[in-house]
Amino acid sequence: MARRLPQRRDMRILALLVLLLGLPCVQANAQEADAPEGAVIDSVEMSGFSPYSLSPGLQKELDSLVDTPLNRERLNQIAARIEGEQPEVVAAVRAVPRPDGKAHVVFLVARISDDTDLSENINARYVVESVEIEGPAGEVSQQLRDDLQKLVGKRLDTEEADRLKDRLESELRGRDVARRISKGSEAGRIRVVFEIVQEPWIRFAPTRSKLVYHAEQGWSGVLDFPMSSSRSRHRFTAGVVFNDIDELIEEYSGFRLGFESRMIGTEKLGVRLDFGRFNETWEDATLSALALTPGIPEPYRNRLTFEPTVTFAFSPSVRLSGGVSLSDMESLAHAPDSQKANAWVAGISADHTWRAADGDARQSLNASYGLRAAVDGLDSDLFYKRHLGQAGYRYEQGHSEAIGSISLGYISGQPPLFERFSLGNSTTLRGFDKYDIAPIGGERMFHSSIEYRYYHVGVFFDTGSVWDRDADAKIRYSTGFGIQGPNFFLTLGFPLNGDDASPIFTTGVRF
Amino acid sequence: MIPAVRAASLWQAGLLILMLLVSPPGLAAQTLSVNAAGDALRVQARNFNLLEGTVLTRLKEGRSVRVDFELTVLSKPEGPVVKQTVQGFTLSFDLWEERFAVSRAGSPPRSISHLRAADAENWCLENLTMSISSLGIGRDTPFWLRLVYRVQDLAPVTEDPGDRYTLRALIDRLSRRREEADLEKSVSGGPFRLP
Repeated sequence: MARRLPQRRDMRILALLVLLLGLPCVQANAQEADAPEGAVIDSVEMSGFSPYSLSPGLQKELDSLVDTPLNRERLNQIAARIEGEQPEVVAAVRAVPRPDGKAHVVFLVARISDDTDLSENINARYVVESVEIEGPAGEVSQQLRDDLQKLVGKRLDTEEADRLKDRLESELRGRDVARRISKGSEAGRIRVVFEIVQEPWIRFAPTRSKLVYHAEQGWSGVLDFPMSSSRSRHRFTAGVVFNDIDELIEEYSGFRLGFESRMIGTEKLGVRLDFGRFNETWEDATLSALALTPGIPEPYRNRLTFEPTVTFAFSPSVRLSGGVSLSDMESLAHAPDSQKANAWVAGISADHTWRAADGDARQSLNASYGLRAAVDGLDSDLFYKRHLGQAGYRYEQGHSEAIGSISLGYISGQPPLFERFSLGNSTTLRGFDKYDIAPIGGERMFHSSIEYRYYHVGVFFDTGSVWDRDADAKIRYSTGFGIQGPNFFLTLGFPLNGDDASPIFTTGVRF
Repeated sequence: MIPAVRAASLWQAGLLILMLLVSPPGLAAQTLSVNAAGDALRVQARNFNLLEGTVLTRLKEGRSVRVDFELTVLSKPEGPVVKQTVQGFTLSFDLWEERFAVSRAGSPPRSISHLRAADAENWCLENLTMSISSLGIGRDTPFWLRLVYRVQDLAPVTEDPGDRYTLRALIDRLSRRREEADLEKSVSGGPFRLP
């Protein structure tokens, strides 16, 4: 046997340095300065690790290499077996050419914990095949792009890669840079990607997907399919609505299509187009109340809506939007007669999230105001102005969350039924049924809610009223408790001043 | 016209089943157990998974993840604290070997690779020890344990555009928890007695 055991400490250190400096000795990168394939192996050495720590079978395998033709696939398999038996080390192999044409095989073994880079990320053992910038690479200086390319051909130096990431963030102020790695084109090689992430100034509308059960109102289902990547400028959404009775006074089913672009030439300008076609059904309570309340626009069997809007962002937190909402409603009683409710829409919204200095507590605040005005010039049959202001605050620390929200609504003129306010569903005045409070909704609305959650178990207190211009507001209170998970909720709400003191159970998922 | 009170129907039952299926996981019981190795108190946790969700996505993107494990011994279920220890670990995922690597921070540093997910989690717990003699409690004295992990410095993960159209992506989306939920988890148990 020609194997030489590492007797001297300096030999081990030298071998370790060779490995750690990323000389071409990594498994898949052993071709350039190595002995040719097929050269006869005259000796085998293991450096940085005692071969006697290996299993007898593996020791025998090492011994059997001598006097056999060099086969890199076999050598790499043995290196992998060394790592398999000794998971605290990494192993690489090099075949050194001898003057007589034979090969000297060295297994370079290093403890992961001795190498900061490997301890930080085990992929630092691999050679960088390419470095890419994902995002606006044109905004990165040529010098920095050149420096990024210097990572190529060497073992991944995580410290240097982090320094380059910091330089990218420094050049691209206001943007985060994330570094990720993926497999290269051949074994033992990796691709490094610096991904420039920026909080978009204009965000896509949150999906409305839900499956909600309300003990008095039954099931509501909405399934939205947004189609885009998280970094895409544009998104197309196709949605299906199954008997949604949770949102409006009407119960509606149908489909909606939406297109959003959050960057029209500039990241400050976006556009959104929403189209929907719905079939409506009405609760008996609503129809009875309508029969007794003249002056309210009639119910409809179908509703067709088209709403193009443009959004301008003053900053990533403050946005202004405007457009039109065109609705055509086919009469329930006099089909195919229909009414149009065409309105200008405008809104402003702001949100902000900040963390405490220790990073433990997080607070977020959002506020919005929206106006929908059906006035002369849009060929509308109904004329009205609808104002809605909303604000919410959330404080999170550890497993605790405190949430507060308030909404105020006001309508003047003759709004269609889908514009009227209602309270008493799975999110407002929990514990009430909207058809007991106001079966045809109302033109004025006030609602507030405070909630405390601990480990997703929460208690809440809702207050609100919905009424018409000529009626008195009756403020209702409800409280309750339940589970409020990230997607799942299950609550039991108790009306505190309702005609019926029975609690109302709601559950569902929103995603 | 829809009657105010709906009779139960098959499709409603189907929807309820679907809702239960897509409701967040975590109903599986997380349980703690303790054992001793010499003077070291060790803890084992069942269904206390770290390598899933956001953390797993990040690791499979070749990034490393720093995690602090905190073990607290309590004299009662909600305290007071008898002793607490915190140990930091750095995890990464070998892209070519498709195995996890873990490094223990501190002195002496220890590292290991070629681990499957469950083995990597167990290795962290094996290296989260507490001296029994330092607890100052008798063998007949009951105590409670709280085990917490906190993922540090986690940047947002990206989503593969191609995955948005697949059934798997839809299922993932339906069952997705908030990312933050993956970043910290705790489990408590007791009463225990020193082994």
